[in-house]
Amino acid sequence: MARAKVEQQQPATGMTLIVLVGLAIAFLLFMAFLNVVKSGNLLNENNLLFATLIFYAGAGALYLGFGVTGTQSYLKFASFSTWLGLLGNTGAIAHRWYESGHAPFSSVYEMLLSFVWTLAVLTLVAEKKYGVKVIGTVTMPVAIVGVVLMQLLRTEVHPLVPALQSTWLHVHVTLAMLAYAACALSFALAMMFLIQDSLKTDTVLAVTSASTLAIYAGIVLTRFEKGGALNLVAWNPESKSEVFLSKGVRLFVTVPDLGWLMALTLLVVVSPLFFYAWARFKNDDSFLAIANRAVFLSILLQVMTLVMFILRARDGRYPSLDADGLFPTSLAASPFILSGLVGGVFISLLYLLLLWRRPDLERSLPTADALDRITYKTICLAFPLLTLMIASGAYWANQTWGSYWSWDPKETWAAITWLVYAGYLHMRITRGWRGRRAAYFAIFGFVVVMFTFFGVTYLLPGLHAYA
Amino acid sequence: MALDFRAVAHKTWRTFASIQTGVVLLILVVILAAAGTVVLQRPATEADEMQRAYTPQALRVLDALGLTNVFHAWWFLGLLLLVSICIVAASIDRFPNAWRYFSRPYKYPDSSFRRALHPQKSLAIVDEESGLVAAERALHSMGFKPERVIPKDSREDQFGIFCERHRISELAVYIVHASLLLIFFGTIVDGIWGWSGYLSLNEGQTSSVIELHDGSTRNLPFAVRCDAAGQENYQDGTPKKWWSKLAVVAAGHDVQKKEIVVNDPLLYNGVRFYQASYGSNGKVEKFSLVATPSKGSGEKQEIGFALNDSATLDADTTVRFAEFFPDFAVRDGQVYKKSNYLENPAAHLVVTSKSAGKDFDVWLPQMDDVADNSKSPYQFQPVDLKMGHYTGLQVSHEPGQWGVWSGVVLMGIGLAFVFYVIHMRFWVVPVRDEKTGKCSLWIGGSANRNRDAFEQRFNHLVTLIEADLKTAPSSSPSVRVATGVAN
Repeated sequence: MARAKVEQQQPATGMTLIVLVGLAIAFLLFMAFLNVVKSGNLLNENNLLFATLIFYAGAGALYLGFGVTGTQSYLKFASFSTWLGLLGNTGAIAHRWYESGHAPFSSVYEMLLSFVWTLAVLTLVAEKKYGVKVIGTVTMPVAIVGVVLMQLLRTEVHPLVPALQSTWLHVHVTLAMLAYAACALSFALAMMFLIQDSLKTDTVLAVTSASTLAIYAGIVLTRFEKGGALNLVAWNPESKSEVFLSKGVRLFVTVPDLGWLMALTLLVVVSPLFFYAWARFKNDDSFLAIANRAVFLSILLQVMTLVMFILRARDGRYPSLDADGLFPTSLAASPFILSGLVGGVFISLLYLLLLWRRPDLERSLPTADALDRITYKTICLAFPLLTLMIASGAYWANQTWGSYWSWDPKETWAAITWLVYAGYLHMRITRGWRGRRAAYFAIFGFVVVMFTFFGVTYLLPGLHAYA
Repeated sequence: MALDFRAVAHKTWRTFASIQTGVVLLILVVILAAAGTVVLQRPATEADEMQRAYTPQALRVLDALGLTNVFHAWWFLGLLLLVSICIVAASIDRFPNAWRYFSRPYKYPDSSFRRALHPQKSLAIVDEESGLVAAERALHSMGFKPERVIPKDSREDQFGIFCERHRISELAVYIVHASLLLIFFGTIVDGIWGWSGYLSLNEGQTSSVIELHDGSTRNLPFAVRCDAAGQENYQDGTPKKWWSKLAVVAAGHDVQKKEIVVNDPLLYNGVRFYQASYGSNGKVEKFSLVATPSKGSGEKQEIGFALNDSATLDADTTVRFAEFFPDFAVRDGQVYKKSNYLENPAAHLVVTSKSAGKDFDVWLPQMDDVADNSKSPYQFQPVDLKMGHYTGLQVSHEPGQWGVWSGVVLMGIGLAFVFYVIHMRFWVVPVRDEKTGKCSLWIGGSANRNRDAFEQRFNHLVTLIEADLKTAPSSSPSVRVATGVAN
């Protein structure tokens, strides 16, 4: 009964999704065109990267389209588009490598380049070797986010500072990319498992909406300023620290208009929860369909908020209520807001994925059992890679700084990631955790990996400034 | 009383050996470590920065909780120790079982085992021997070494075939746990007997005193001399390479020489010297200037000297290089050193005239509220300033690192065994139905991981045996010998 309802409301959400993804591609093509006109040089790294983005986005859209409509022919094109994107990605890496004279591992930008490449390769491997055809629905969006992030980060070639001139660095980073990509794959497979497994989606709906609600309520309650502005901590780019007025009192700058956007998003984020509560109260499941659409709308608004936030808070100078003059701010000054926004988009998207469960999709996926086993196998691959990554990193640090372990945030979080996956393996092997619990664990593990990769670099102070 | 004690000891043991305790401890470690990355940490962050970042109350609470120095706090190290104890206890608790499994392979499956095992298969055969021979041939062709199981005494009729591969896989997890303990052991040894510090050497300088990170110093039984040091730059001016030519001096002799660069340290007597930084030490190696007499038409002359050196300008006049500030500031008619970086240098020269019986202070650049350069018999024009350089060396002694690296290698091997080496076993038993007298061949197999791939292998074995049973003659001479022993 519940499943029949979910099926009924699929086409509408699906069409909207396809149209929007199509619009996004058109927008990106336009941007790419502008870029070519501006540089007058066709085969440079930026253009290759744009081509990569467009093909990955196309592949993502087609995979999503397959997920929504179940049209088999989409898959062939999706896979083809992934190949083309991979080609562009390889070109961008080669270009970068040639230009800088070292393997592209020395900055977040270059590492993202390698990470996305590895992810695309693993996606194609999973598709061809294990027959997990729709894996791209999860990995391609991750790849797209990676490429978009690269656009936001600076792209000049930097010479390697002395500490980075080591073979061990390359070993370390290659292993890290392989391990992280394997973790991403295990996450995607765990999601596939949850789609295939008969999980009740409405509880997930309630949890997802409540969490996003909490995030936006927290931001609006603490940071909303009169006139629709948003208060952000000022940032001193020279000393790379927050600006303090006096002991423990931070200087806030007010960024205009962002407050309204946050408040609007808060309203939209409340609506799914409201409809869910209404459906429970009236005992009428048709309101759940409305709630699902509200989730979809909230994701669009959340993505917009996130993009606006990144654009406004990345740099620029803003007035402050507490001091005269204009002060700069930075994403690093607002770690919790940034991670809250990203987290909100992330969990809402996960929920959206779960809604695709339909008999035809279930047929085209491997059985839940097989997915569970492949997830485990991917983690069996990821775990030794993580171990070797940490070991090679420690060896490199010992060669460079004379200490193999100094508890810097990146090291600590790498160790935490390792412990989480060690926990997964112990639970699975000795306690016989299978199925849903193992899938949740794999998803949690990937969240920790993402935090180690991005979160530590942007949100936490530390020595690991290169990555 | 004694019984009570044993009960408590037993209970403690069970608690440590249980996986729940391990998981709870690991979750605690994860939470505390995460807290340690979010809260600013004491030795790495300077005190005034800590005071800027937190209100005094918050800082007091954080300090009291120990959250400002998590990774060196006794309770964090204690927690890691508890985790180690847990690993040891859990391993010891489970090891006897695994060892029994490893040392005494289960070769003959009894009937209850045969009922429960998956995968298994029964094939109809003419007689026991033909079936067993077919199975042996099939196993041989798959690269196994089948072994005949023969009854120990005449009352039993346990005969069949057993074969296995990679029995070591059952112990692999203990290899991983042992490697983890080895790593912990190495870090603990380093924590107790290891030290690390910093040594800054000017070119030509020799020193044996290391400044440790906690502020104290350590005297080495030998000394290190820096013969030369330098930096190479990229075209855009960012440093590409730092190098230092170091010599170890023990008992007055050079015992070892090496040019070190970043990532390539010098090792002597367990002490490693790492190239960490390079820069100007704020000291002048040679200051060159042109001196022109203030009055008359005397010749210009170029002089060059180091700090505290003097130069003779004419029979009556000498000049001494009295003071140097790499980065100066003037306040209340006094010159102060702002920093050690060569940003805004100033030099103090003292010109002595015998005939006037007087010293003249000359400051470069001219500072009106400090001195009046125009009174001096000579005017000076700076030409060149050659600064001395220092090389910054990270020095460390880590006696436990061999434990760490061997632990890492062992862990790599252990993990490879855990994940990719599979313990496979096959049993073949001929079974005769007591009522009908018909004979069948029971084939069973088991693998400790990757069971789906193993099942394919098992099915392959069954097909091979089936094919062999169809084509092979019903019995062969070698089998008769075996039968003779079995009966």
